[in-house]
Amino acid sequence: MTTRSGQGALAFASSLRREWFLFLLLAPAFVYFFVFHLWPMAGMVIAFQDFRLIGKSRFVGLKHFIVLFSSPAFYKVLTNTLILSAMKIILFFPLPIVFALLVNELRAAALRKFTQAVAYLPHFLSWVAIAGIWIAFLSPSTGGANQVRGILGLPPLDFMTSKSHIRWVLFASETWRSLGWDSIIYLAALMRISPSLYESADMDGASALQKMRFITLPELVPTMVTVFILNLGFFMNAGFDQVFNMMNDSVISVIDILDTYVYRIGLVNMQYSFSTAASLFKGAIGLVLILSTHVMAKRTTGKGLW
Amino acid sequence: MGNKVKSPFADRVFRTCIGIFLLAVAAIILVPVLNLLALSLTDPRRVSELSGLDVFPKGFSLIVYKVLAANPFFMKSILNSVFITVAGTLINLVATSMAAYALTRPNLPLKRVLMLLVIVIMVFEPGIVPEYLVVKKVGLMNSMWAVILYKSVNVYYLILLMRFFEEVPQSFIEAARVDGAGHWTILSRIMLPLSKSALATLGLFYGVMHWNEYFRASIYLNDPVKYPLQLILRQFVVLDDTAALVGAGTLYSYDEAARLSYAALRAGTIIVSIIPVLMLYPLILKYYTRGVMEGGVKE
Repeated sequence: MTTRSGQGALAFASSLRREWFLFLLLAPAFVYFFVFHLWPMAGMVIAFQDFRLIGKSRFVGLKHFIVLFSSPAFYKVLTNTLILSAMKIILFFPLPIVFALLVNELRAAALRKFTQAVAYLPHFLSWVAIAGIWIAFLSPSTGGANQVRGILGLPPLDFMTSKSHIRWVLFASETWRSLGWDSIIYLAALMRISPSLYESADMDGASALQKMRFITLPELVPTMVTVFILNLGFFMNAGFDQVFNMMNDSVISVIDILDTYVYRIGLVNMQYSFSTAASLFKGAIGLVLILSTHVMAKRTTGKGLW
Repeated sequence: MGNKVKSPFADRVFRTCIGIFLLAVAAIILVPVLNLLALSLTDPRRVSELSGLDVFPKGFSLIVYKVLAANPFFMKSILNSVFITVAGTLINLVATSMAAYALTRPNLPLKRVLMLLVIVIMVFEPGIVPEYLVVKKVGLMNSMWAVILYKSVNVYYLILLMRFFEEVPQSFIEAARVDGAGHWTILSRIMLPLSKSALATLGLFYGVMHWNEYFRASIYLNDPVKYPLQLILRQFVVLDDTAALVGAGTLYSYDEAARLSYAALRAGTIIVSIIPVLMLYPLILKYYTRGVMEGGVKE
């Protein structure tokens, strides 16, 4: 055993001498990985301690987890996370597909390009700017949304502070931001469909709607499966930046999610250990989800995360 | 495909309806943004006339932008954002391409271990508090470098670039090696020039990411002089903290303040924050769509 590992080490040392330059090339990225990812991962040990900035932190076992799992606030936040994720992953899922199918029917190149260019744009705006745009648009006094309500004879509504509407505001703003962008993967898949399929359908006298239903849609199924499965892997991420920028005191109880909760108890209330325990819970679930969806996606479609 | 059959009437009606519907979708996306642009350009005396659905200003005035340009706080935050974006993107591109090259060499020792590490980073997030404590420990608190370096390499982009490098024909590399080229020459003379569009795409994505950064800035920077534009925007527009921009009373004259509505100032701030993205947008469309259609870019 010792000789074998000794030989291994020797072989490694010689290859290191030969390929030292490659390690030099790797150095910036891996120093970064170490400092900003691995070190914080190791730092998660404070979830099992009573962390102190000065002096020695005491080991307390599962204390923070017990407090976490017996706190009603945690379940509320977890429920909000699951509800918002379900809206964004399941409810939103068909929309980019429909968008891609419709764009695919456009025959005028200029119109097609314009629609796509407009629809992709919001993806590149920060959530801060998007929140600003939506807060202005939904303003009860001057916002465009309430002007439309006025035209329809409805009373003005303060969407941003309404507990029963805010989740739909998040859903709508997410759709506004991602409808076009998330359709790209489907549009790319559409380009790979063989034109001969459409030609033979034309000869059979199929209508545009029939071709969409019986050729285009079935050809998109593998992409749909991949996208859906991989999105499930991120179920615990209900959209920190969006919630963080669209939240206010009136609606916090219905849209506070795990990530905003972790931020608040950790960096605002400075309960470092307790917050890290919540992070660890979220990270562990996320890890299982991502790994299992990756394996699932690889099995069903041959494409995973890596 | 010689038989150019004129599509039936029903199909043309169907496609016209789709066209109208998609134009309506485009309008829903654009109107809220154009409305803010109109508001920021509206004559201050006529702001109350502007409806939330208008896309053209009532009258015309650049006073909002003049006030913003005269605000040293605001102008400094733009410079900070430019610095963070340029320095950050350069670091991203250098670190990502060097690592992608090394990780795609077949004879890299410890390759499996290193790749495993990359995947671990991809699938497990440590959360914000442990990262915060590390930044504190390494002395990057209240430094713009914390905001720049926390995202030096995006693992998804790294893997994307690795796929690109793997596509480079082995014969090119072998030929260069026969001519005595080392890794550096192969990387800089063969790999990078062949991956120009991938690098452009990554550069644009990294650039937008840095420009839009506000959260790390809000937790790592305490000194408002170092704030990037997005953070000023957040305080002013989202948190409605007018002191962030007009505080201390010295930033612009009282007369101007009295004439201006905060709504118009907010609108102007939002517009300024998205102008650089709009300027890069044609390039993003060009490189990214090309990448997607070539099938090289996945996500």
